[in-house]
Amino acid sequence: MSVKGTKIPPKLRLPLAGVTPAPTEEAGQVLFPTGNFRFFRPVYKDKTPPCNHACPTGENIQKYLDFVKHERFLDGYLTIMEDNPMPSVTGRVCYHPCEGACNRKDHDEPIGIRNVERFLGDFGLELADDPIKETLPATNGKHIAVVGSGPGGLASAYHLRRLGYRVTILEALSKPGGMLRGGIPHWHLPENVLNAEVTKIEDLGGIEIKCNTRVGTDVSWDDLKSYDATFLAVGQDVGRKLPVEGNDLRGVTGGLEFVREAGFNKPVKVGKRVIVVGGGNTASDAARSALRLGAEEVTIVSLEGPDELLIVPEDLEQAKDEGVQFKTNTACARILGEDGVVTGAVLCEAHLSKDEEGNVTPKMNSDTEYEVTCDNVMIAIGQVQHLDWIPDHLIEGGLLKTDEYGRLEDNIFAGGDIVRGPAMVVDALGDGKRAASNIDKVLKTADLAPDAPVEVMPYERLNTSYFPHAPRIEAPLTPPEERTRDQEIEVTLAYTQEQAVAEADRCMSCGVCNGCDNCYIVCPDVSVMRDTRTNGAYSIRTKYCKGCLVCVQECPTGCLEKVPELDFEDEGDVTRMETAFSVYDGSHAEQSIPIAKLQEDAIAEYDAARRRRKDATSGNGQRR
Amino acid sequence: MYHEITVWTRGIIMDKEARDVVNCVATGAESAGYYAQFISDYIDDPDRTNCLVHKYARFGDEPIADRFVYENANPDWVVLVEETLLKASNFFRGTPDGEGVLVVNSARDPEYLLKFLPDFMLAKLKKLVVVDAVSLAEQEGGSPWMFVRDLGQLAYDRTSTEGAAERSEVGIGVAAPLLGALTAATGVLPLEAIRETVTDQDAFMRGAEHHSVLDYAQAQVREAAAAQPISN
Repeated sequence: MSVKGTKIPPKLRLPLAGVTPAPTEEAGQVLFPTGNFRFFRPVYKDKTPPCNHACPTGENIQKYLDFVKHERFLDGYLTIMEDNPMPSVTGRVCYHPCEGACNRKDHDEPIGIRNVERFLGDFGLELADDPIKETLPATNGKHIAVVGSGPGGLASAYHLRRLGYRVTILEALSKPGGMLRGGIPHWHLPENVLNAEVTKIEDLGGIEIKCNTRVGTDVSWDDLKSYDATFLAVGQDVGRKLPVEGNDLRGVTGGLEFVREAGFNKPVKVGKRVIVVGGGNTASDAARSALRLGAEEVTIVSLEGPDELLIVPEDLEQAKDEGVQFKTNTACARILGEDGVVTGAVLCEAHLSKDEEGNVTPKMNSDTEYEVTCDNVMIAIGQVQHLDWIPDHLIEGGLLKTDEYGRLEDNIFAGGDIVRGPAMVVDALGDGKRAASNIDKVLKTADLAPDAPVEVMPYERLNTSYFPHAPRIEAPLTPPEERTRDQEIEVTLAYTQEQAVAEADRCMSCGVCNGCDNCYIVCPDVSVMRDTRTNGAYSIRTKYCKGCLVCVQECPTGCLEKVPELDFEDEGDVTRMETAFSVYDGSHAEQSIPIAKLQEDAIAEYDAARRRRKDATSGNGQRR
Repeated sequence: MYHEITVWTRGIIMDKEARDVVNCVATGAESAGYYAQFISDYIDDPDRTNCLVHKYARFGDEPIADRFVYENANPDWVVLVEETLLKASNFFRGTPDGEGVLVVNSARDPEYLLKFLPDFMLAKLKKLVVVDAVSLAEQEGGSPWMFVRDLGQLAYDRTSTEGAAERSEVGIGVAAPLLGALTAATGVLPLEAIRETVTDQDAFMRGAEHHSVLDYAQAQVREAAAAQPISN
């Protein structure tokens, strides 16, 4: 501003310059608390990234990607372990709802979150000492029963132990792992990784896994009530039968049963030609396992059309690469046999039709029947569970009926496939985590409450100019001809450290401050401070911030928001001024006492300096 | 009868709104037979975006004595074009005790706004008039910065010469409902006379009809306000 022609009040006249001090000087800053220019205040408000929101366990994905980006792998591993006890497992087998929700998919390609998780999980398994062990509280004397040692059971045991409870897991089969062992083939999840993850949880102390203990025969429903609380995660591991003629012939097996036998390292044999009936992931796993066990021609027969298959896209692609054949929109009408052994099947064209209420029913066209020869038929059309040991009123449609908190009755909770029907591993892990916290609340006689609603960050609110396009790093695969040779050869390979860091660096940190310093750099008023770190990673000097909102506009992650200044009832941050400038003598000085003092100090200092100079001059004269 | 009107606004982005208010009050008062004048503010360096700026108007039934003083020493009507100014300035400087009529453009409750007035300003308040001028004005422009205007209009306005020769129409946007609320709530100037000076007469009438008045002179209102914690 120009001060030419403006009358400067005497108290503002600095002895030397004779003008109002510039705002860059300390005196000027006291004079011009420009906070009252502002009618919107920038506020750091962290929102929930879509990946975090989509993950059933609520993993803080943005946070661990940020740690990996800075090569802080242990911190990243510990971040995952807050929510998910087995990152090595989910890093291999998860159907990654996070990547489906990732905002980066609207930008270029979603982040390879699962692969980074696997990298961190394997990092954690290689640690000499389990860092979680040191953080555990002593057990509090309460004892919880967990039925089933699948992902849901193991997760609940882990979280319960971290809350101080002693846990006994009852497992019907000879080895723990549930569906992780019996439903996921070794080429997808190597046995040693699963064993290591289970051992890690067992070694925490206070968690006991009792194998070969089937609830319903070895332990009764009433026995469970002797524990302080119970979590049922029995899953669904009985394959549904195909209701057609010939389904009891030798050579007809359930897809899931086949995968389980292989998973438990039992000797399994398949013929040369295998037909797998079903259009889901179990069908794909069974078909691909059959290839590895010596089958030469494997065909998946599904009612679903080529675009309706329920197999996750990457598995579908891998299956096709390995030579699995698909007969879509086809039904198996009959299974043919001779002397009680399968020799072939009758297939026909079919499709799924949806009626007005959304019910899907298969429609078969019996005019198009034709015969194929085969040695095995595997049925993978869904799973059920025997629940005859549970009181009838808790069962509805073959599933357990829980309330919105996963509670069955009293201190009995349930989760996983037995509540939701066939679902993902990570759904079960999430149910286990939720059950643990709800059991904790119930035992502490606190009220169960639904989670608070969260604000999920949409892509549109990111400042995408800051994110250069970068292709997703795909995890390397073992070549199809090599991997189909044996069950134990893993299909998807791990990221190297460089790849994991580079992939984590693609994260846009949706809605969460990652300390990029951009607001600090762009603020034209030096009003964003990073020394105090009270408000997110930065604080706003509200006394001087003019509310230009450059920081809000330029925040890459969108964690900065503008909030109307009048929403803040505390007036301390804004100096009420009589006018923006002094309009009459001394009005500035009236605004604040420090200014009057400042002026007086400056004048006194100037006078003192002049006196000193005068003394010095006269002193020199005397010496001369 | 003599009234001084000070309109507080923010530099550049809301300058035109405040100018229109003083312009129309003075023009309307003159056509109603009063002596009147209005002046823009220069001393606060109004070329700075967002800074506090005021505009003045005055009218009376006798010739204005301080014709060449361009600040209002004792404003009794104060208009805030933007609500945060409540927090930011002492707009009641020089106002006689218990005489101040405050018109605020805000969508909030009058009771909430009272919280932001310290005791020494409350002592001068007679009436608090709250009008949601933004929603009453004709909607155009999508800027989060300016009320119902866009950057092109703003640039065009900047070539005006502070009321002497306005480039765009006088009394559009939020100025119209603000003027309506001011005229109706004070009841001194004839509504018709002011309305004639305003371009957006519908919005003017909407403002005249839809505003809330909190009569602070009444004892019970004072007590209710005193019961609430007043910051500063």
